[in-house]
Amino acid sequence: MEHNAIHFHWNLLIAFYLFTAGISAGAFFVSGLATYLGGERYKRISRIGALLAPWPLSLGLAALIFDLTKPFQFWWLFLTVEYTSPMSIGSWLLTGFSLLSFVYFVLWLPRPWRDLLRLPHSLSELTTWNTWRPLDPSEVNIARRIVAAVGAPLAIGVGMYTGVLLGAIPARPLWNTPMVAQLFLMSAMSSGVATVLLVASLMRSHHLHSERHFLVSFDAMLIVLEIFMIIPFFLHQTLSTWSASGSLNLVMGGPYTLAFWGGVILVGLLIPLAIEGFELFPVVWQEHAVKYSRLWGGLSAGMVLIGGFALRYVFVYAGQMSHFLPLYVR
Amino acid sequence: MSDNNPTSRSRRWVFVMEPDRCINCEACMISCSLENEVPLGMHRNWINKIERGVFPDLSTTFLPENCQHCANPPCERVCPTGATYRREDGLVLIDYDKCIGCKYCMMACPYDARYVNEEKAAVDKCTFCVHRLDQGLPPACVETCVGNARHFGDLNDPNSEVSKLLATHETYRLYEEAGTEPAIYYIRS
Repeated sequence: MEHNAIHFHWNLLIAFYLFTAGISAGAFFVSGLATYLGGERYKRISRIGALLAPWPLSLGLAALIFDLTKPFQFWWLFLTVEYTSPMSIGSWLLTGFSLLSFVYFVLWLPRPWRDLLRLPHSLSELTTWNTWRPLDPSEVNIARRIVAAVGAPLAIGVGMYTGVLLGAIPARPLWNTPMVAQLFLMSAMSSGVATVLLVASLMRSHHLHSERHFLVSFDAMLIVLEIFMIIPFFLHQTLSTWSASGSLNLVMGGPYTLAFWGGVILVGLLIPLAIEGFELFPVVWQEHAVKYSRLWGGLSAGMVLIGGFALRYVFVYAGQMSHFLPLYVR
Repeated sequence: MSDNNPTSRSRRWVFVMEPDRCINCEACMISCSLENEVPLGMHRNWINKIERGVFPDLSTTFLPENCQHCANPPCERVCPTGATYRREDGLVLIDYDKCIGCKYCMMACPYDARYVNEEKAAVDKCTFCVHRLDQGLPPACVETCVGNARHFGDLNDPNSEVSKLLATHETYRLYEEAGTEPAIYYIRS
C-alpha cells in the first residue's frame, strides 16, 4: 500500500500566492522607501509601487481561497487568533496590509479618484459622511507618508511570514530552517522592486534616470543579500541532521535540481546581478553617469521575477517531498 | 477498558503494537474503513512495510500505523481556525465544521496521518474510534486484528493491558526526535 507515496497537497496555487504576496509587499515597501528617501525625486517610483501593490496580492488571495476545501468559509479564519499558527497570524497580517495597500492606492491616484478619501470639516461632522471634504495636496503628502510608515512593518511582516509559514513545520526538513523567513523576505522585496523596475522600463520617459538608478541599486543589493542567505542555508543544511542534509538531495541531483540552480540561482540571481553590476560599475567605480537601458532594466527585472517564482515553486514542491528519514526499528 | 464513570480519573489512551505478530492481512484497514466510512483511496490506518538487509539476509517488518494522537501535536499547533483540538484523554480530534481545508495540518504531520475528506469538505484522520470509546468499546482495528498485534488501553490505569505490556517489554515510538510525544508504542523484536 503506497501510504508513503508523495502527494502534493499544496500546489501551484499556493506557490502563486506566495509569489504575489511577495510582489505586493515588496512594491509597497519600495514605494514607501522611495517617498522617504527621495520625496519628489523618486515620486514616480512611489506612484508605480503604490498603484501596483494591492493587485498581485488580491489575485494571490483569490487563488488561496480557491484552494480551500470550503472556499466560502474562508472568513472563519477571522473568528479567532491562534497564536501558535503562522497561518492564523498571517491571515490577520494580510488583512491589515491589504486594507492599507488599498488606502495607499487611492492616495496615489490622480485628482478626481483620490477624492474618495475625505475628512470632516470638524468633529461635529463625524456622522454626516457626505459633508466631508477631499484632502488638499499637503494633507495628501502627509497621509501618504503616514500610510507608508504604518504599512512598512506590515509589508515586512507579509514578506517574512510566508517564510515563517513554511519554516514552522519540522515534518518537512527542507522548510524547517532558520533561514527560510529571511530568504523569502529578501526575495519578496526583490520581486517587488523588480516589478516596479519592469513597469519603469516599459515607460518611455527619459526623466526616469535617477529613479532607475535607485531601483537598480536597491535590487542589486537585495540580490547580494539573497546570495549571502543561500550560501549558509546550504552549508548548515548539509552539516545538519540526516533528515536535513537528505532534503538537499532534492535540489542536488534530485527532481528540483534544474528548477533551483537554473531558475532560482542562474536566471533569478546571478544573471540579473551581472546585468545590474555592469550597469552600475561605471557609476560606482568611475563615478560617471550612465544612461540606464530600458532593455537591460526590463530584462533583469523579468529574470528576477522568474527566479522569485521558481524559488517558491521549488520550496513548495520539494519541501513536500522532504521528510524525516525513516529511522525505524533500530 | 471501559469505566462506568468516565470522569473518575484522567485517561491517556495509547496503542501498544506488536509488529512481530502483524502478518499484513490488512483486516484492520478494512474494518477501519468500514467503521468510519473512509472514502475510497484514503486510509486512516495502514501497514508500513520495512524491508531490511541485503540478499540473502533479508527481513521484512510490518508496522501497523495510524494517527499517533500526539501529546504535543504539530497539527493542533498550526491549525488557523482551531478546528483540530486535543481532548483531555489525549485524543486529537477535528471539528469538521470549523475546518476550512487549508491543509496546513497535513504539512505539519510527520506521520502523514491525515487526508482530505471530500465528502466532509474537511481534513480527516484516525480518531481512535472515539465514538466507540465513548461507549466503552475498543477501536475497530483492535477488535478485528486476527494476530492480536494491536493492543489498546488507558496508560493511566496501572492494571490495563497496555500498562502491563509497557512495563514488561522494551518499546520504541516513531520519530520521537520530532518531539511529538506519540501515543503509539511498538514492542521491539
